[in-house]
Amino acid sequence: MKRRDFIQYTSASFFLPLILDGFEAKAHTQATTPFMRAMLDVADANDNILVVIQLAGGNDGLNMVLPLDQYSLYSSASFRGNIAIPENKILKLTDTPQTGLHPSMTGLQRLYGEGKLSIVHSAGYPNPSFSHFRASDIWFTAVDSDKLSTSGWLGRYITDRYPGFPDSYPSTANPDPLAIQISSISATVFNTPSITSAVAIQDPDTFAKIVGDKPNISPSPLPNTVGGKYTTFIRQQQTSSFAYAGQLKTAAGKGKNFATYPANNALADQLKIVSRLIHGGLQTKIYYVTLGGFDTHSDQVSATDNSTGNHATLMQKLSEGVTAFMDDLKAQGTQDKVVGMTFSEFGRRAVSNGSKGTDHGWASPLFVFGNAVKTQIIGKNPDLKTLKDNNITLQTDFRQVYAAILKDWMGASEQSVKSILLDQTFTPAPIFKNTKVLANENETPLTDLNIYPNPAQVETIIESDAFAKNNTEVMVTDAYGRSFNTNPTRLSRTQVRLNVSNMPTGKYFVKVDTGSEPLVKALMVLR
Amino acid sequence: MALIDAYTQNLTARQVSHLLRRAAFGATLAQVKELTGKTPAFIIQKLLATQPTPTNPTDENQQTFHDLVWGGPNTTDATRNNFDGVRRGRLKLWWIGLMVTQPVSLLEKTTLFWQNHFVSTSTDVSDVRFLYRQNQLLRKYALGNFRDFVIEITKDPAMLQYLNGASNVVGKPNENYGRELMELFTIGRGNYTEDDVKAAARVLTGWRSLNFRSTTAATIGFEFRTAQHDTTDKVFSDSYQKRTIKGRTGTTAGDDELKDLIDMILAQPETARFIVRKFYRWFVQADISAQIEKDFIEPLAAIFRKNYDIKITLETLFKSQHFYDETLYGSQIKSPMDLVVGTLRSFNYQLPDPVKDRTKYDAATNYFFGRLKEQQMDIIDQPSVFGWRPYYDTDFYEIWINSTTLALRGAWTDYVVKGATGTAVDINSLGIPLITSTPTDPYKMVRELTDSLLEFPLTDDQIIYLVEQPLMAGSPYYEWTTIWTDYTKSPNDTMKKSAAKTRLDRLITFILRLAEYQMG
Repeated sequence: MKRRDFIQYTSASFFLPLILDGFEAKAHTQATTPFMRAMLDVADANDNILVVIQLAGGNDGLNMVLPLDQYSLYSSASFRGNIAIPENKILKLTDTPQTGLHPSMTGLQRLYGEGKLSIVHSAGYPNPSFSHFRASDIWFTAVDSDKLSTSGWLGRYITDRYPGFPDSYPSTANPDPLAIQISSISATVFNTPSITSAVAIQDPDTFAKIVGDKPNISPSPLPNTVGGKYTTFIRQQQTSSFAYAGQLKTAAGKGKNFATYPANNALADQLKIVSRLIHGGLQTKIYYVTLGGFDTHSDQVSATDNSTGNHATLMQKLSEGVTAFMDDLKAQGTQDKVVGMTFSEFGRRAVSNGSKGTDHGWASPLFVFGNAVKTQIIGKNPDLKTLKDNNITLQTDFRQVYAAILKDWMGASEQSVKSILLDQTFTPAPIFKNTKVLANENETPLTDLNIYPNPAQVETIIESDAFAKNNTEVMVTDAYGRSFNTNPTRLSRTQVRLNVSNMPTGKYFVKVDTGSEPLVKALMVLR
Repeated sequence: MALIDAYTQNLTARQVSHLLRRAAFGATLAQVKELTGKTPAFIIQKLLATQPTPTNPTDENQQTFHDLVWGGPNTTDATRNNFDGVRRGRLKLWWIGLMVTQPVSLLEKTTLFWQNHFVSTSTDVSDVRFLYRQNQLLRKYALGNFRDFVIEITKDPAMLQYLNGASNVVGKPNENYGRELMELFTIGRGNYTEDDVKAAARVLTGWRSLNFRSTTAATIGFEFRTAQHDTTDKVFSDSYQKRTIKGRTGTTAGDDELKDLIDMILAQPETARFIVRKFYRWFVQADISAQIEKDFIEPLAAIFRKNYDIKITLETLFKSQHFYDETLYGSQIKSPMDLVVGTLRSFNYQLPDPVKDRTKYDAATNYFFGRLKEQQMDIIDQPSVFGWRPYYDTDFYEIWINSTTLALRGAWTDYVVKGATGTAVDINSLGIPLITSTPTDPYKMVRELTDSLLEFPLTDDQIIYLVEQPLMAGSPYYEWTTIWTDYTKSPNDTMKKSAAKTRLDRLITFILRLAEYQMG
């Protein structure tokens, strides 16, 4: 059975009437019972949204996330004294004394305190490229720095998750664009072997209007030349624009913003549209926005105050844009289903140049934000004493971040993640996992329930701290409460294997009895 | 028969259209007719003819502004800033006007190529005098000598500002220009090391621009400061045969070392290849196969390398057998400039005169600029130093096209056919059948029209569809003969005129909305 048929099937059989009938009304209220929460989890299970923010030009990460534990070296004249942020202005982070944020990022400081921001230190890849173009391409396509690919990681995700893309889309089950870029130019990151997987829009209010009523296509066989190939491509674009225009118009009409967004902030303008489309009910999985201007070779700080200037303005735009967006999501009740990540093609040279700027560098920190974030610091402050050619060295491969997003957030199977990352295995960075070490045995562990692979075909593994206790029971039921025998086999202290090979395609609930409140999570079975 | 050998036959109308689309943003249907039957050599001589220097850009009161102090004669920085912003806008409009009104010439499209090669953006440079000076330099060398061009652009005040050459000093060098000089302007990525970038930056220490955003001095320029120059030897890697550029002192040190540096880079065969590939992607097509690399890029690069003569190189390109290869028709997707300027030129648009009809001239160039910008081709304001993505990034020209820009392209061609008095856009659709051989025969008319407007011929089925649907809207095709004949007999009869015009407008609107029209 094809994936999209499966979605149609489940929607038609029980999913829609049982849950979605009341979903719109309930989506904005807090679910109180574990069952209700689980049901909403199910409704959202396949509905997680990713927002990618590209910081174009190479962000000076060392002035964004500051190593307070090495301040004197950081601020010394031979290091980056001419652009160093004054120590007393650096923003402190809750329970994280060694690390601070740029003074303009009060919004992100708050999000960090609320547990909604994760900092991934020194992200990058081995053998770095210092060319904007090449380095961006490496991030877009997720290749090793000595390899090439013409398809982007998000494009490959779309192709993996939605078989038959692009020819069979939009469909009844997936009427909305699978990815939207708020821009007028499509990014390589969405490239698939055939066409880009994202619909690029500037303004959802006028999109439908400029697209018009119907395409002028007079179909005909085309010459087998480059010109023929381009004509096919443009006809495809004409068709999909018309197909999606109505959906976008409806969502833009229904959606509202509940937060105040800062003015003169291109990033905030884009995120405002994203939030509105999410609220308008668009089922789009991925949104992509861009903030440019990070190539700060000179005058990145102002002449009089190192905490102000061009880079400070960019930091402020990023912080205020993301904060307004998160506040908006919270007000509309969708904050649990959206996660965002930032990235830049490279960091900048740790040692500044003579023109109050920084040349191209290597590893740099990135942010992942959202309610789903669990581990807030991945890695540690870069060690400023062990630079390589004055560059900060690598701690986390950026593809470990992609793997975490794909697997732990988007719910892709390990196999899919591997194929999306070009047949290499990257351990997901534990952004969405609790890595907190227990202080003593009496401390209650934070219970969680992981199911993988999910969707499952033959077997699936349930992972939970709850299994460490005696008498834990696993129950698998369908939406009508009928239970199924899955022959649970204990694999380790925290892992149980289930056999799902006899169960029909559909959505199920896995319930783990812990003695107190049961843990419930959705499982999908796919044939 | 080598790909680069000259094509010597007389050109058909389609071949002429193809050549002029690629070399000069297209031409009027009448110009195409006039040049049909001529050889490539004949037409290329015309394309390469020296053009008169254009008059300086002016404001709405016909006053020049490149010779004033920055933002002058205003008194506060805020008003100066606004004034300069408006003037930078006017510089763009002035250039768009030149592209629209140019004769059959290679100059404008090549100048635009170089502006997209040696990018310095208006937003970042933010001093119109610098940008205008650079535009004059681009025009001077557009078809000149590449070696001299690179040397001059390195010292160009706008470039010194844009890539921080002006703040590249001994001790704490700024690598920005040194890197892009190699990566983007000459040899291309993969042909130098990071240490070469650093050595080049040291060679280039000491230059700076003069009177950038000066509110007191009207004259701008550049200078070399001996004290800011790194006088030590600069050693390059194996990529440059371990060359050492000897550190010099004194007032000529900057020029001497710069010449050594450019000669060292231009001595590498890869530099000529890199630039020729870029010409190829601008004027021919994006897909460079191994065979094209071997049989076209390589021999053309050899010609270029002899003396780095741009004119001879482009002449060879436009004369080549390969350029007229039937399979390469439509092998580009029109850039917004090709689409906006090209559509106007095809329909013989007359730009209002900037002196006699200033209001309309401003309104028109401003409107065209708005369309270019929304379609993502803001001249002198590329998104990055790489220039416009469709000329270097994966998928190339396809990047121009997406849901939004495609819709905007359609809206633009609709506007051109509809016409507007404020911008003097009027295609005079009733005159168009007269350019064809048999206006009373709708099939012949549509065939000839689409042959000249489109890069490759439509199928017979498509021609039938165009006649039956947009032109006749379901009425029998032969009624066109009556409609056209009635109109030509009584051209002042409102009803008869309108009957013909409505149908022609509908037909042309439809043709320009076809996917095929997006191919250049």
